Amino acid sequence: MALTPETLPRHELNGLPVRVAESDDPGTVGLEGIVVIETTNTLQIEVRDDGGSRVVQVSKSGSVFEFAITDDAADLEKGSGTTSKLADSQPDSSEHDSDESDRAGEGVAYVTVDGSRLLSRPARRTETNGDSPWQ
Amino acid sequence: MGVAEERIDRLHDLARAAASECEHERARHYVRLARRIAERNRLSLPRTFKRFTCDACDAYLVPGKNARVRLQDGHVVVTCDCGHQARYPYEEQ
Repeated sequence: MALTPETLPRHELNGLPVRVAESDDPGTVGLEGIVVIETTNTLQIEVRDDGGSRVVQVSKSGSVFEFAITDDAADLEKGSGTTSKLADSQPDSSEHDSDESDRAGEGVAYVTVDGSRLLSRPARRTETNGDSPWQ
Repeated sequence: MGVAEERIDRLHDLARAAASECEHERARHYVRLARRIAERNRLSLPRTFKRFTCDACDAYLVPGKNARVRLQDGHVVVTCDCGHQARYPYEEQ
């Protein structure tokens, strides 16, 4: 279960490069950086300006995030033929209105996720709709 | 490997990177999250994770920076800056 566009909403977000694609708060639209801390309702994004870096807290609800999945994860995803899997999960994910991946460069996949899908405690997000043996 | 195991792996790397940049509070946050994920998913943590984190204060330990590592008769003693000591045995070759 590598980090792929399908598993991303259940996977670790800390450390991923992210861009705020849309937001109710106009001040945060277009922010680009790396997720450093996740809370139930927010993501804290470290933005590197020329000079130093600052951490901006962005609300999950009302925002749309674009995560960049790089290197090994993207390679794996190509090898395992994600496009077919994505088609399988399409009816499910279209309900929540999200998860389209479009590939830009070599080894980088961009995944757009509606922030409302990520509303959960960071540790609980993995279990909610998962492959847990208990459900 | 499930998502939970992978998250723990990633958090381990993130904690190590944060600790090496002296972001100790952030490293602690990652260690706590990894512990919580392991607990929720009934997984045991990797041995390297156990040996490089403090059981008492959840700090990620960097020997020489915030941890002291001393060899004693048949065991290693790792002392965290918070004063907590962890011991594990070693075998002489």
